Parts: sequence; structure tokens; C-alpha cells
Amino acid sequence: MTEQAAEARERRILGTELLWAFGVGVLIAAVLGVIVFTALTADINPPSNVERIDPKTLHLSGEFAEQNLGTTVGADGGVTVRVIATQFMFVPRCIAVPYGRRVTLRFATPDVIHGLLITGTNVNTMVVPGFVAQVYSEFTRAEDLLMPCHEYCGLGHSDMWATVQVLPESAFKPGQDGRVSCAQR
Amino acid sequence: MWSSRGGKPMISANQTSASDVPPEVPDQVDEAALAEVMRVVPLGAGVVAGTAVALLVLGYLAIYLLVFLPRGPVG
Repeated sequence: MTEQAAEARERRILGTELLWAFGVGVLIAAVLGVIVFTALTADINPPSNVERIDPKTLHLSGEFAEQNLGTTVGADGGVTVRVIATQFMFVPRCIAVPYGRRVTLRFATPDVIHGLLITGTNVNTMVVPGFVAQVYSEFTRAEDLLMPCHEYCGLGHSDMWATVQVLPESAFKPGQDGRVSCAQR
Repeated sequence: MWSSRGGKPMISANQTSASDVPPEVPDQVDEAALAEVMRVVPLGAGVVAGTAVALLVLGYLAIYLLVFLPRGPVG
């Protein structure tokens, strides 16, 4: 092979590599664009709440005391759910949420690291001792959804799950204290 | 030298082993054919890699559009 032909071949290979690098760059830009576009238009973001809480006393007073757990509708109409994840159950075990409304879910744990997801939704977070895990979502399936612990937390881990009951607006009626419980079925 | 049962050497000093490296013989290379192969090979690699990446992107888009977005907002 002559020297010129070898040079031409090298140039061609370099051209192919540069073209490939350009294609990969376009793909990376497209994926990042999709993430930004989704965040801006569909309001889908990674949960990023950093809030400290003392795991030794969270059950004694404050928002995670027993009487404050479950679903509460505030004076402004905002729906907040407070749940304690503990070995090996969620308290309460059934959570009522309205269909098609923004719901703020707040979780805390007094013992070890737990995790949870709600089937059929993008809700998925870890619950770490010392921190409040907060996720908001909007439920668009009016049915009972499973909420299992997905972070191994001990021998009873597989029994740790709760139900999220998505109620239509007609059935989601807060009491005088603004609290909503699961419908008995 | 290894000997046979009768004490006679199996290989005499003037014999060559079959495992000897054969003398180098230049390949009969057709320069034109080689140039043609070298022209086509990067294109083939590009097609294979491009197909693999295209399948990956299609899978990503399918999960994004059919699974992720219908699951609703989160943050």
C-alpha cells in the first residue's frame, strides 16, 4: 500500500470516529434535553428534600406524633400525608389520597433505613433515620395501590407494606379536623 | 535425546522437528482488494454500532413515553 493510500485511510477512519463522537454528543444532548423538558412541562423531578428530624423523639410530639399520622387536608386545601416507616410496618397501614390532586407525602423512620415505592406511580424514595423524606405526586388511577418497603430492613422486611387508596373527589371527604381515613370496603 | 526401547535415538541430529517455525513466506496480497476491505470495514462497524445504539434509544423512548410519563408528576 502506498503512503498516500495509507494516509487517505487514516483520514477516513478519523472522519468516521469524529462523526460517531458527534452522534454520541447529539444523543447526550437529547437525553439531557428530555430531562429538562420533562421537568419544565410535566413537573417531574427527582425528590430533593433535605430536612432533619430527631429519630429518637419523632413519635413523642410534632407532626409525626400518632395523632398526626395519615392524611390531612390543610386550610388551603393542600393534602399532606404523614407516614412513619418502622420495623416492620408503615403507620398507618392504609393511606387515603384524592384522585387527580397534588398530594405531599412525608415519611420518617425511628429505626433503620427503609424505602418505598407506590406501584403505578413515580413515587420512589428512601426513608433515612434523621431525615424527613418528602415526595409530592398526583394520583391518576382511582384504585388501591401497593406501597411496599423496598430497602431491606430486617427479617420482617417482606411483610412491610401499606395500601394507598386513591379515592374519587366525591368519596374524599375530610372530617371536621381535616383528616381523611381509608374507606371501609 | 529421548531413546526408544532399544536404546536407539528417535530423532537423529540432522532431522528437523515438525514444530519448527516454517520459513516466512510473504502473503499473496492483492493491494486493491485490501484497499477495498479497509474502505468497507469502518462502514460495517458503524452500521453495527449504529444499529445497537438506535435500539437502545428506541427502548429508552418507549419506556419514557409508555411507562414513565403516564405514571404522573413527582418531585
